[in-house]
Amino acid sequence: MNLEKLFNPKSIAVIGASRDPNSVGYGILNNLVTGCVFQTEYCKPFNGKIYPINPNADSILDLKCYKNILEIKEDVDLALVVVPARFILDVINNCVKKKVKSLIIISAGFSELGEEGKKVQDKIVEILTKAKIPMVGPNCLGIIRPCINMNASFAPTTPPEGNIAFISQSGALADSIIDWSIENRYGFSAVISYGNKAMLDVYDFMEYFDKDPNTKVITLYIEGVNDGKKFIETAKKIKKPIVVLKAGRSEQGRKAISSHTGSLAGSYDIYKAAFKQSGIVIADTVEELFDNAKALANMSHLKEGLAILTNGGGCGVLCADYCSDLNVPLAELKENTLKKLDDTKKMHPAYSRRNPLDIVGDALPERYEAAADILLSESYVGGLIVIQTLQSITKPQDDAEAIIKMHKKYPDKPIICVYMGGRFTRKSRQMLEEAGIPDYNDLRKAAMAMKCLLVR
Amino acid sequence: MEQLSFEKSAKLLKKYKIPFTDYSIIKDEKDIEKIKYPIVMKVFSEKIIHKSDVGGIILNIKNKEEALQAFQKTKKLSKSALVQPMIKGKEIIIGMKKDLQFGPVIMFGLGGIFVEVMKDVSFRICPITKDDALSMIKEVKSYKILSGIRGEKPANIDSLAELIVKISNLAMKEKINEIDLNPVMINEKEAVAVDVRFMV
Repeated sequence: MNLEKLFNPKSIAVIGASRDPNSVGYGILNNLVTGCVFQTEYCKPFNGKIYPINPNADSILDLKCYKNILEIKEDVDLALVVVPARFILDVINNCVKKKVKSLIIISAGFSELGEEGKKVQDKIVEILTKAKIPMVGPNCLGIIRPCINMNASFAPTTPPEGNIAFISQSGALADSIIDWSIENRYGFSAVISYGNKAMLDVYDFMEYFDKDPNTKVITLYIEGVNDGKKFIETAKKIKKPIVVLKAGRSEQGRKAISSHTGSLAGSYDIYKAAFKQSGIVIADTVEELFDNAKALANMSHLKEGLAILTNGGGCGVLCADYCSDLNVPLAELKENTLKKLDDTKKMHPAYSRRNPLDIVGDALPERYEAAADILLSESYVGGLIVIQTLQSITKPQDDAEAIIKMHKKYPDKPIICVYMGGRFTRKSRQMLEEAGIPDYNDLRKAAMAMKCLLVR
Repeated sequence: MEQLSFEKSAKLLKKYKIPFTDYSIIKDEKDIEKIKYPIVMKVFSEKIIHKSDVGGIILNIKNKEEALQAFQKTKKLSKSALVQPMIKGKEIIIGMKKDLQFGPVIMFGLGGIFVEVMKDVSFRICPITKDDALSMIKEVKSYKILSGIRGEKPANIDSLAELIVKISNLAMKEKINEIDLNPVMINEKEAVAVDVRFMV
C-alpha cells in the first residue's frame, strides 16, 4: 500500500475536532495549527490545509468547521479520527465516500477492550482494505513529521527535524522521548505510534522509511510482533540501519505487556536471535537506542582498527577498556606513524607514542588537528574517538573546529567525540553535533557507538 | 506430544545425513560376544527419558566381563540395552523448539554445567545458514573450551556448524515439535549425535 499521502499530506481533516481545550480533539487540531502545546523553536504551523470537522461548531482556532467530511470540496490526503468508538463506522464510511487517501485513528476502545471492540476494529479493517485506504491505529498517539511541520498527534510538542525515524509501539514513551530529544539534540524524520496495528504494522513503516529520503536510520520500540517470520524477512530486506529496543525481557515484563497492548511477548532470547539474524542493532535502554541511532545516522562504517586521541591519559585508558569489553578493535600505531607525528614538531616530548594517543594536557587545537590528520591518513586506522578533557589552557571551540575540518577531509572514516564536561564545553559539543559529528559526554557510550559502526 | 520411537528417530537422522553413532541392541548375553570395546551401554526403553538419573547409562566399558556386569544392571530397568562405541570429546547439547511467533528455533550449548547451571546457551531461528550456525557456536562463553585449551587440539567447529544446519533443515521440513540432541560429541575429527529425542 502506498503511504506517501500518509507521511507527506497536503491536506488534513480532523474528524472530532473540539472546542474544549482539555480534549484530545482540541489538542490535535492545536498541534496542527501551531505545532504544539509546549512552544519551542521547532513548533511550526502545518504546511498544508487543515479542515476541522465538528457538526456543532462554526469555527475552532479560527478555522472554518465542517459538519462532515463530505462537505469539504477539495481533496483530503489524510483524515485524523478522534471521535468516540461508537461513531466510528459512520465516519469510516464517509471517509471512503470522500476518497480520503489515508487515515489515522487516534480513538481508543477497540481490540484492546476485548471481543466487542475487536469486532468493530475488524469491520473497519475490512472496509478500508476493500477501499485500499491505509490506516494507522486505532488507539495510537499519531504521527509527527518535522520536515513538513506536521504534528498529527496529541504529543505535547514537536521534536527537532533530523534523520532518525522512530517507530514506537508505545505512545506515552514517544511523548517523553520528544521532550527529551529537544534537550539532547536528537532530530527525527518521523515519530510514529502505531497502537493496535489493526492495518498498518511495524513492517509497513520499516519499508516506507527505508525509501524515505529524510531518514538515515530506523529505530524501533517493540513489545511484541504478531508475525515473527515476516519481521525477519522485512528487516533483512531493509538497507538502512535498524536499532531496536525490546520490552518484556523478563517474565514480569512480559506479563505487563499482555495487559498493556495485548501483544504476545515471546522469550527475549528468541527475539534477540531474530534481531541478530536480521542484522539489527540491539539497544538495552532508551538512551542507547538513540545514542546508537545518532552514530549510525551520521557516520560510515568502521572498517579497520580504531585510534583514540586524547589530551588526558586516564580517559584514554578507560576508553580503551570499554572498547576491549565491547570487542571494538584498536589499531596498533606503527613506527612510521610515530615518525610522522614527531616530524610535525607539535607533539609534547612526553606524548604517549601508542594507542590511545595521549597528546598531553597542554594540547592546543593545532596539535589535535595534526594528530587527527596523521592518524586518519593511515589506511590501517579505521576511525577515531577524540577525547577532550577541559584544562586551563584547553580551547574547546577551536578544538571542535579542528575536528570538524578533519571530518570534512576524511568523510569515510567515523569520528566520535567525547568533549567531556558541562557548561564550558557545551558550545563546542553543539558545534560538533551541528556538523554531524556525534558527541557523547561519556566514554563508554563512544565505544558503544563505534561498536555499532563495526562492519559485521 | 509423544516421543518418536528409536528406530524412526535413527531413520530421520539418516534421511537428513545427521551423523549418529553406530549402535547395536543387546537382547541377551549372546549379543555381547561380537562387540568391539570400549563401549557405552544404555538402558533401551522409550519410557525412561532421563536414563542417567536412574543409573541407566554405563560409560567406558572396556571388556566382555564389564559388559556382562553392566547388562545385569540395565536388565533390572528394561529387557534390552543399547550399545554404542565410546566417543571421546566434549559434550554439546542442541535443541529445537517451536516458537509461537518465529517458528522452529534452535538452541546450542555445551553439555553439563554450562547449559544447566550457567545457562550459557545461544539461539537462532530456522532456517539457519552456516554463518548463523558458526556465530551461534562462537556466541556462548564456553566456546573457548572447543577452540582448544591447555594444548588440546581444537574441535571440528565446521562439522558442528554443518550438523546444526542439517537440524534446521529437518525442523523446517518435518512435522516435529521438539528435538533434543543430548549429547552430541565433538572432537578434532567430527561432531556426532549420541542420543536423540524427537517429540511429535
